[in-house]
Amino acid sequence: MAEGGDAEWELSKENIQPLKRGRDISVLHQALSQQQDGPSSAVCQQKQAFESELRIYNGDDPLDVWDRYVKWTEQTFPQGGKESNLPVLLERAVTQFTEEKKYHNDPRYVDLWIKFAKICSEPLEIYRYMQAQRVGGSQASFYIAWSEEYERLGNSREADKVYQEGFNNCAEPRDKLLQYHKALQARVSRQVMTTMAEKDSDEESNEPERLSLVDLKHRGKKKAIVPVNRAQAALGHNSRGLQSQGAPAPSGAKNSCFVVFDENKGPAAVTSEPKWESWAAPPPVRAKENAQKPEKWCDVKMAQKSRFGHKIVPPPLTKPTFQPYVEESDEPPRMTPCKINSAVNTVLSARKPRLEETPLKRLQEHRHLQQQQQQQETQGGKLQEKNMYCKELLFSGATEFCFEELRAERYRKKMAQETQPGQSSADPTNTETEF
Amino acid sequence: MTGCNEYKLNQGPEDTISAVKFSPSTAQFLLVSSWDCTVRLYDVAANSMRMKYKHSDPVLDCAFYDPTHSWSGGLDAQLKTHDLNTDQDTIVGTHDAPIRCVEYCPEVNVMVTGSWDRSVRLWDPRTPCNAGTFTQPDKVYTLSVARDRLIVGTAGRRVLVWDLRNMGYVLQRRESSLKYQTRCIRAFPNKQGFALSSIEGRVAVEYLDPSLEVQKKKYAFKCHRLKENGIEHVYPVNAISFHGTHNTFATGGSDGFVNIWDPLNKKRLCQFHRYPTSIASLAFSNDGSLLAIASSYMQEQGDISHPEDAVFIRQVTDAETKPK
Repeated sequence: MAEGGDAEWELSKENIQPLKRGRDISVLHQALSQQQDGPSSAVCQQKQAFESELRIYNGDDPLDVWDRYVKWTEQTFPQGGKESNLPVLLERAVTQFTEEKKYHNDPRYVDLWIKFAKICSEPLEIYRYMQAQRVGGSQASFYIAWSEEYERLGNSREADKVYQEGFNNCAEPRDKLLQYHKALQARVSRQVMTTMAEKDSDEESNEPERLSLVDLKHRGKKKAIVPVNRAQAALGHNSRGLQSQGAPAPSGAKNSCFVVFDENKGPAAVTSEPKWESWAAPPPVRAKENAQKPEKWCDVKMAQKSRFGHKIVPPPLTKPTFQPYVEESDEPPRMTPCKINSAVNTVLSARKPRLEETPLKRLQEHRHLQQQQQQQETQGGKLQEKNMYCKELLFSGATEFCFEELRAERYRKKMAQETQPGQSSADPTNTETEF
Repeated sequence: MTGCNEYKLNQGPEDTISAVKFSPSTAQFLLVSSWDCTVRLYDVAANSMRMKYKHSDPVLDCAFYDPTHSWSGGLDAQLKTHDLNTDQDTIVGTHDAPIRCVEYCPEVNVMVTGSWDRSVRLWDPRTPCNAGTFTQPDKVYTLSVARDRLIVGTAGRRVLVWDLRNMGYVLQRRESSLKYQTRCIRAFPNKQGFALSSIEGRVAVEYLDPSLEVQKKKYAFKCHRLKENGIEHVYPVNAISFHGTHNTFATGGSDGFVNIWDPLNKKRLCQFHRYPTSIASLAFSNDGSLLAIASSYMQEQGDISHPEDAVFIRQVTDAETKPK
């Protein structure tokens, strides 16, 4: 089992999104094998079970269900994507408890917020919103995520400020915050040192650059080398004044008391760097077929030869003096009829596409609506609509339910409760007679 | 409550009624499926229950195949056919999740079931056996048959039109023209369109022909709303049933009212008195002389105490159902 599973995992790495906490390998195997079979009913059933649990849960910790649901979704849909429905799920989970003060500093809730922020296009906006709503104010993970976002954008000053704020707000656990802050400082100082060293050094820039059009074999009789100067992913960070964690500083740093090993630099120091050589002569023309000098083509007439070798001069083009007869029915063929008439399609989808809206905007609207409702309830406003059904329950999950589905869940729960005591008291006839 | 033109059926189901269906040949027989796990056959003229059979779980829908065979499915995900003459059950097949709708298409001679497992399955009623499974984009909430067209309403406010003679591809993918969850779809008897009702007091009339001129005729209107103390209470519209000959239709809402509409002239023809609780299902008899009205609370507002579930049989006149 392990053999086959391993191979499968190796073959579909590109379909697995990295997770910060890593993945359970057995769940991953299962998820990948299910993908090949298409959407399986087991996954659908599990999803439905979570959805119904969201609705019929009546304990004192509703966040727990959401938390488990999100974690299950992450593990079950390793490729992310639309069918996982994760963005919707996270958004619902986050909006669900905006009013619940007790969750605002719950590590699980803050974690959901951070996951939500990371899939948004503007994470900083979300973090600022969280701060304004006092969500995660005393959680170290919030400040760490926020700071990392700044760092990613190359703004180390703001990144540092975020940590300061975390300390001011006494975020817990303090050790973790301290540790991450130190790591940030180390990265920034190393970066500063590197840039300074680069300025100091007289040599031409150490900056890695992609060397194109050089031979893989070095010229001359020296041993063959391959240029190892690669354009790193870290290049972008470098230019913005930050280097990703763990990236070694170039050995040119003279200020440091020890030499840091640099895999990029190492071999280059042994062998001479490939140089740009000026070409003495243009490269020889390889056997190119039909090589022709560029020239104007539009008024060139190719001389045509007849079978007998005489040149044929085409007769000058003149308009015929008569009208060629065209049969009436002989019209040029019309264009092939377009099968999908765009006008019809817009007719079938009646609703206009909604305006572009960001998750943050929706969040704010949601809050705004809630406040409005409260106001209206207190004021007793004008004509307002009241839905005569449990709308919250139908739409509280990531997918909608209908009355019958909701009722089916209640029914199943009731049946489970009825059969369990029946079995324990060994009196199954009692449950039967009720029908 | 019940006048001379209306009476309540005796020996009614003991739990919420999920569907009422008249026999295709006569106004004498009525099938009633219920959350009490039974399907009952009533002799409407004699006001008595002829027989009942059980599923292991609540039944969500039932349909006549011919006057002597009923088909039904529900939470146990099993599709059953029952011979009403010999009182014998046959399990035809199963879905992966509860079966929400069961319909019969006489033109193609096929039974159609829709389920929360996101699929529609066709069944050959003669053998009887499965004749194909067709995946839908979401859970199936309602479906209706118009000649060889199958109209499926799913979660996510989607409407799909299939050709029952060629189920290889979807004929039309539509979005419901109503903003909220689809409750019920029923096809016009003239097979040219369908009426669609939503969970928030609205009904839309749509046409199958995708041409621009025809599509211009579609419309939607508000209904089943009650004003109380300056607040408009919006009720779900749970049931639609078409009158077989007049092309008019009845709608039933959770407000307990039944309205009859003339879709061509865009007029309400009449409104009956308020029934004790939500209207869960409606059915006109094949000749259009009777209307079966299931008044049954569907737990739209939670598991609370409610009036008794009942089926009312109402004699309707042309004055009530014929366009003026």
